[in-house]
Amino acid sequence: MATNYYLPEDSVPLPPKHADVLTTCCDYCIVACSYKVFRWPLGSGNGGTKAAENAFGIDFPSGILQAWVAPAQHNVVMHDGNPHNIVIIPDKDAKVVNKSGDSSMRGGLIAAKCYNPKTPTRDRMTTPLVRINGTLQPVSWEFALDIAAEVGRHVIAKHGTNAYSVKTYSYQYVENTYAISKYARRHVNTAAFTFHDTPSDVTSTPGFRDAGFDNFGPSYDDWGAADTLMVCGTDPYETKTIIYTQFIKPGMDRGMKTVWLNPRETAGIAYAKKRGGLHIQLYPGTDNLVVGAIARVILEKGWEDKEWIKKWVNNGWESSSGFGQGTRNTPWQWRTTWGKFQTKGFEDYKKWVLAQKDFDPDNAAKIAGIPVEQIYTAAEYLAKPNKDGTRPKTSIGIEKGFYWSNNTGNTIAISSLATICGAGGRPGQVVGRFGGHQRGGTGGGKYPRNKSPEKVPGRRRRALDTDRWLYSGNTRFAHVIGTTWIQSMTGSQGLFNKFRELVTLNPHQVRSFDKQEIIDTLKQRTDSGGTVVINQDIYLRDPIGARFADVVFPAATWGEEDFIRANGERRLRLYQKFYDAPGDAKPDWWIIAQMAKRMGYDGFDWKNSNEVAEESSRFSRGNRKAYHMIKVAAHAEGKTLHQKLAELGTEGIQGPTFYNQETGELTGTKRLHDTTLSKEDLARMGLADGAQGVNMVNKKMTHFNSQTGKVNIEKHPWSLFSDFYEWLLPKGDELRFTNGRINEIWQSGFDDVERRPYVTQRWPENWVEIHPDDAKKRGIESGDQVMLYSERVAAQKNTILGVHGNDFQFSELMKNGQIELTKGAVTAVAIVTPHVKKGLMFGNMIDMRQPTNALQPRVVDWISGNYNYKMGVAKVKKIGESAYKKDFRSMSFAPRNIV
Amino acid sequence: MTTPTNQRDDSAKAHGKCMLNRRQFLMAGSAAAVTASTVSISLFPGTAQAVQTKASVLGYPRQLIGHLSKLKDHTPVDFNYPDDGPNSQAMLIKMGGVKAGGGIGPDRDVVAFSYLCTHQGGPMQGQYKAVDDQRVLGQCPLHLSLYDLRRHGIIVSGQAYQSLPQVLLELDGDEIYAVGVMGLLYGRNENLMNS
Repeated sequence: MATNYYLPEDSVPLPPKHADVLTTCCDYCIVACSYKVFRWPLGSGNGGTKAAENAFGIDFPSGILQAWVAPAQHNVVMHDGNPHNIVIIPDKDAKVVNKSGDSSMRGGLIAAKCYNPKTPTRDRMTTPLVRINGTLQPVSWEFALDIAAEVGRHVIAKHGTNAYSVKTYSYQYVENTYAISKYARRHVNTAAFTFHDTPSDVTSTPGFRDAGFDNFGPSYDDWGAADTLMVCGTDPYETKTIIYTQFIKPGMDRGMKTVWLNPRETAGIAYAKKRGGLHIQLYPGTDNLVVGAIARVILEKGWEDKEWIKKWVNNGWESSSGFGQGTRNTPWQWRTTWGKFQTKGFEDYKKWVLAQKDFDPDNAAKIAGIPVEQIYTAAEYLAKPNKDGTRPKTSIGIEKGFYWSNNTGNTIAISSLATICGAGGRPGQVVGRFGGHQRGGTGGGKYPRNKSPEKVPGRRRRALDTDRWLYSGNTRFAHVIGTTWIQSMTGSQGLFNKFRELVTLNPHQVRSFDKQEIIDTLKQRTDSGGTVVINQDIYLRDPIGARFADVVFPAATWGEEDFIRANGERRLRLYQKFYDAPGDAKPDWWIIAQMAKRMGYDGFDWKNSNEVAEESSRFSRGNRKAYHMIKVAAHAEGKTLHQKLAELGTEGIQGPTFYNQETGELTGTKRLHDTTLSKEDLARMGLADGAQGVNMVNKKMTHFNSQTGKVNIEKHPWSLFSDFYEWLLPKGDELRFTNGRINEIWQSGFDDVERRPYVTQRWPENWVEIHPDDAKKRGIESGDQVMLYSERVAAQKNTILGVHGNDFQFSELMKNGQIELTKGAVTAVAIVTPHVKKGLMFGNMIDMRQPTNALQPRVVDWISGNYNYKMGVAKVKKIGESAYKKDFRSMSFAPRNIV
Repeated sequence: MTTPTNQRDDSAKAHGKCMLNRRQFLMAGSAAAVTASTVSISLFPGTAQAVQTKASVLGYPRQLIGHLSKLKDHTPVDFNYPDDGPNSQAMLIKMGGVKAGGGIGPDRDVVAFSYLCTHQGGPMQGQYKAVDDQRVLGQCPLHLSLYDLRRHGIIVSGQAYQSLPQVLLELDGDEIYAVGVMGLLYGRNENLMNS
């Protein structure tokens, strides 16, 4: 029997010739590498070592880069009720993404994700649960659904729709997100709705939105096709591994220059430095200053891309015409009418940058803790024209370390820098996000913003902050789908306490086995000001499911149902079902449909996931991964949407998709904002004279997402953030504290870290990286158990109406008593390493048991409404030695930057 | 499972007995466990356990791969194991007095590992590095995986599907024998394909 001890095996079965072969993609990070599933009945004979004897058609031992099966890539699952062997390995025939079958460790080990009671997946939920006398007990679907729906209806009728809060993943396949958002936004129609990574349903990158950049416009080829690539707030080797190994690394190997903004030097950055890359190792939250200073140097030298700017940047009139963003009724307009961001065009921006003392390179370098020469070198790499007068092709990619430290300021700054460098809209000259989770969202209903009681200064409402809404006692029904809610938000221990108060400590607790009595008790809880929690997930999460949920629904997931999803270059693929979901687990779309019918909503009569996908497709029209035309092509060929997509295999097709009605050809879109797209290209796509038939063509194909199709260049004042930054500066013995992902568990932590013995062995518990100088001062060595703690975790308390211009600014909130200071503490194993910046500690982004978000301030970026998860401050002290200090079997304390 | 005895028997015949399987080896691989373990083996001469039974792994050949006195710090000795077939390239290394899981010799600093990255078989010859008190193999030239040689070849950073296969060693006087492999060698479906 497998245990969480990693016990290496020295043999593995090979798939035989008669194995079924199905295609899928990795369930985890945005890159979505292609995989093949080989499936054959147990006892039907394994493959042999000769090419003629196995499904790969190659002789074993296999050679470098050929197909191979590691023991962890084999599993045994149930298929149609019978045990089958499965082997899941990267698709060696892949021509895109993970070309030739490259893979990360997360995807490489994905066979171990499948439910098999002999492995640490044995705690998958297999039946609905209802909490009776404090214990979650198995019940029938009908019993659980009747309770959840009747209490839900009561809450809406008595306390209003906003008392029904829905917190859901944004990414776990279009069929599920469509069903969930149709239910929550169209039918429940609650403003207390948001996704797993933000307290309110707002854009992740306000600066990109304002400039007119799509987050995922670039193609993966673009990331390796620049002359200079700037990467902010991530090391794509750690996160987005295959973009690094298949695109960025080959680019650097042929001479692409790189500039990195990152407080740590991890493996990908260390390799880049060996190739001449420039690593700007700044303090978290200082990016706006450094980017502003680089822009200033470029403008002082006159290195900006004048032709590009002339053609593609809005002037004052264009920017004001519809405020550059369409109707007046947009967040952009509310923000810009304050005059803090909008410019009259490039010259106005230039004048502003040159006048900012904050962006003086010496000042920026001092605050960021970097050598000032790096600012000048970066400017040179990014924008200095070549000797022959040509310009370097520059691309810029960002991710959470950057946009979750000064969300608005940083994303505006980088958009403006990209624009003056001529990035955005040409092959190898792009700007975008690298991405986090895959893109699996399709909207089945519009977010009812006008029902949100939260108003920012200016004119309009902002999406409701569901954490503060709950914190101030307004959430009577919390419907949580595939997220922890608590640990994944900041100031998480305060949120935990509030949930405990509203749920567990409420006197109305279920003591009966009678359905009606249970329903009545839970209704009484909501009427008394308490909260009822229902939770859909694949595993029972602590605390949201294990401690707080009154009703739990077991979800079926990857490999257990046919699903559609797109990756970070909008590539749509079908993730095929290849084995039976455990027990009575059902896909989320099914669970939602059952809830909806009981709530009295129509339009939830789907029989299978293809029907959901086909209904959802028209809602994807016009968005970046529009898949409606795949359905049109499928139907023209007498197929279903899922069948057509299965046919496209692991290559899939890049959205938005188009159907040429004359030739019957289905085409995808390599990059958005493609200003080089020719008339011939469009004609081939069947769009010679614009949109034909039901094809929908919008501006972002060939222009930018603004009123005029040109870029808005905006100001990015440091002062909107500086009070918060300064308040967070370490005092006394404190150190700066940030957090992030790590290669071995990137975007897979929701099920792999506790359930892959090898991953568990590598990262058995929470950890924190500390610079050797800081560690020495505190008597800390690698392997010591440490306490991370803070007496000043700032937490914003209430849903408020902003009236005056700066009501939401941190110092004003503080002055007005809207911030409480709470305590937070988590333990961790110390890793003393020079690859983290001195004065800064770096922790695991989420360990479910010891969430580092406990120490990060629960204060939103006041312009956007997102948390700045990466900004924090904490003390650290040794509390003992962990077992890993002297045990050679688990963890590693070797630095990640050895090249 | 066979119980180790206190009888010393170095013969090749005795080697054929399953005295210690790789799982026991792994469980005994921690510094804390080894000195107190009842699964005491002769991997650590100079200790009380040194005179005890030789350990070996069922089915693997016992192959002389070097002499302790001839090893130079940080200078790998290449050998093939468990046979001379494809993907058998391995290295024996004395890591300058830094103790390692499964290490032999007075300082427990002598270990042996496969040269092939467990991700896609990238060759890591020439990639041994000593940085402060860390001992690593990598980055792999293909996709930059890095392995910790102090900790049974566990991945430090990168793409591995498993730890770097560690070749189990026995010390007999000055002679170093390879006696087994912990983990599947890249490209093979069984380590002992040719036997």
